[in-house]
Amino acid sequence: MREAGIMLISTALTCAVIGNAYYQRKQFYPTVVHITKSNPSMTVIYTQGLILVFMINAFLRKIFFGTLRAAELEHLLEKVWYAVTETCLAFTVFRDDFSPKFIALFTLLLFLKSFHWLAEDRVDYMERSPVITWLFHLRVGTLLILLFAINLTMIHYAYNTTATKGPSVQLVFGFEYAILLTVVFNISVKYILHTIDLQSENPWDNKPVFLLYTELIIGLLKVILYVAFVTLMVKLYTLPLFALRAMYYTMRDFKKAFHDIVMSRRAIRNMNTLYPDATAEELAAADNVCIICREEMVSASKKLPCNHIFHTACLRSWFQRQQTCPTCRLNILRPVNNNQGNRQQNQAQAGPQVPQAPQAPGFNPIVQVLPAFWAGMQAPGAPPPLQQQQQQPQQQQQQQQQQQQQQPQQPQSSGASVQQQQAQSSGPSTSSTSFQNLAASGVPLFPPPFPTMVPLPPIPTPPPNLTELSEEELRAMEGNLRQAVEARIQTLQRVQLLLDAASAMMNQYQTAAATANIPVPTAINNANVTTDVPSMRKQGTSKIASPGVNGEQPQVKAEMNVPIENSSIDNVNTLSGTNGTDVTPESSIRNDVESSSEQEMLRRRRLQKFSAQLTAE
Amino acid sequence: MAGSALRRLMAEYKQLTLNPPEGIIAGPINEENFFEWEALITGPEGTCFEGGVFPAKLIFPPDYPLSPPKMQFTCEMFHPNIYADGRVCISILHAPGDDPMGYESSAERWSPVQSVEKILLSVVSMLAEPNDESGANVDAAKMWREDRSEFERIAQKLVRKTLGIPP
Repeated sequence: MREAGIMLISTALTCAVIGNAYYQRKQFYPTVVHITKSNPSMTVIYTQGLILVFMINAFLRKIFFGTLRAAELEHLLEKVWYAVTETCLAFTVFRDDFSPKFIALFTLLLFLKSFHWLAEDRVDYMERSPVITWLFHLRVGTLLILLFAINLTMIHYAYNTTATKGPSVQLVFGFEYAILLTVVFNISVKYILHTIDLQSENPWDNKPVFLLYTELIIGLLKVILYVAFVTLMVKLYTLPLFALRAMYYTMRDFKKAFHDIVMSRRAIRNMNTLYPDATAEELAAADNVCIICREEMVSASKKLPCNHIFHTACLRSWFQRQQTCPTCRLNILRPVNNNQGNRQQNQAQAGPQVPQAPQAPGFNPIVQVLPAFWAGMQAPGAPPPLQQQQQQPQQQQQQQQQQQQQQPQQPQSSGASVQQQQAQSSGPSTSSTSFQNLAASGVPLFPPPFPTMVPLPPIPTPPPNLTELSEEELRAMEGNLRQAVEARIQTLQRVQLLLDAASAMMNQYQTAAATANIPVPTAINNANVTTDVPSMRKQGTSKIASPGVNGEQPQVKAEMNVPIENSSIDNVNTLSGTNGTDVTPESSIRNDVESSSEQEMLRRRRLQKFSAQLTAE
Repeated sequence: MAGSALRRLMAEYKQLTLNPPEGIIAGPINEENFFEWEALITGPEGTCFEGGVFPAKLIFPPDYPLSPPKMQFTCEMFHPNIYADGRVCISILHAPGDDPMGYESSAERWSPVQSVEKILLSVVSMLAEPNDESGANVDAAKMWREDRSEFERIAQKLVRKTLGIPP
């Protein structure tokens, strides 16, 4: 609407100017002279001319492109802005040549450029468009031929002018059209490649490779052209500021294309030589969908060193952009062996994945098995301390050392609580150490068993010595994510069982203590244990169920370890808590009288004395 | 043979239509062009954007999913991680290598594993928890840090605007 309005106004103005002149002079030549001599009249005529050019341009655009898409229009406006700025800069160099003809030539160049940009966008759009009509092919074909012909003609004209009349502004035009010629060439290659791809039924794997190489060659041509042009301009005139931006971008693109080709070639060579094709079982075990294209993988898929499987073709096109695993970002250009080794080691440490035959339930299994249980707890907890030590190495280690030094000096019972505080203050990494110490120093975590003890459910054994696992077993563990996760959930469930058993023990202990008339701070600590277990399990499983963007196994493992450790801290809490109350001087003094058992009295006194000594020290 | 980008977008569209995530609707504006989508995002509950329905458009590159799409809200937004023109600035929408704010690690960048659904979910969580360090909209980031009640007032005004209720 607005354009139509402007057009109408301009036409009306032109008519008025010409009519007025003709009305004054009555004859043709005097009218022309009148108009050309008067500046306002000429302005009107020039504006009219410009609008006519715009109209022709819009008309041609309509013929060749139809309606522009929003994105195309956006690109066009963006590029036109730069082109106009650079043209203005070019005017400053050639201000001696400034004339209407010069402006006309620049306008023509600008419009031709816009057609090149649009053609490029259109051809790029071929890849995305579901239907390509014959009209499209006809339009693009004619346009490309036309642009090619125009560019050649203009280069020829510029060459002739320069050859006969010496260097002038035609140098710039010749160069600009040469650049445009390379653009036409680039678009044509893309168009041909896309057309071939569209005709074939299967995706054409090599197309991206061809595109990459085309880009490289065109980039090289452009860089040579720009360098030649800038040297010429510097020699003949001055530094061509207006060409510097384009030159910079061309060089950057060329460098990027070169880098991409080198890196992708290396990655693809790695892929072809180092990484195995995924076997049918591996495909069946994973969920069988290539995460890049979201289509099923039937054949032609590769397994990366990180065990993620993708279509070979998808991987190839991804490697042309980046040389990492799409899922876990493992850099595949780094030495692979190192990574694999670490990974397997981590896997092995990850814990009891191979279910063992449960031990026969003994009369008092806990006392025998618990130290082993703590040792077992340490196994899954091992990797995080390692990692954390790397992050905050010295502090943690110092704390641990202090703790270990303190350990032997602490009396058995209160030692547990002190240590537990330390464990809490120094974070989860040390907690596993404290368990180890507890187990190693043989602290009696439980009082002597009561005869009323009910047999407990079988308790899982800790994993066997991991170095004894054969290569196959390790592979089987590492082999696929799901099984490993299942194994871990099983382990967690067993841990829960153990905790339940422990709380049952505590209950028994308390009932026994109650019958012995010892007031024991009741179920608070116990409640701690029982409430913690379900939450722990919930945390553990929900972490696994969450969509595995980082399906990498060590990460899952690390996340799962945290809840385990937390809950075991709580467990210690209960244990030490009850132990602590056993020792607390006040409570024992109070209960001294009521205590019926001789043995109990004796023990109590001994402990009291012990704690008195401790406070004295 | 249509391009793999088109097929993947179709697959994602199907997936989003069959199992729509809560509070999110997305699909191509026009079935002939699968590379421009429109999405409606409801403001997360319990935040100052609660109740709002925010329209946005997603523009996919021809080499999707190898390159990330662009996302832009088409309504007025006031948020630390949304530019004044509505463009969304979150790390998973940036290809590794370009880093407009210079603080993102490559681990949280775009990779083909991401999807429209994940992007939109990330945007929902971005609405709930702005990252005031990135500062696509510095005014909003400053206000979020220093004058939370004013920020919430503006957000509520925008929510009412998207619903067509006079403030």
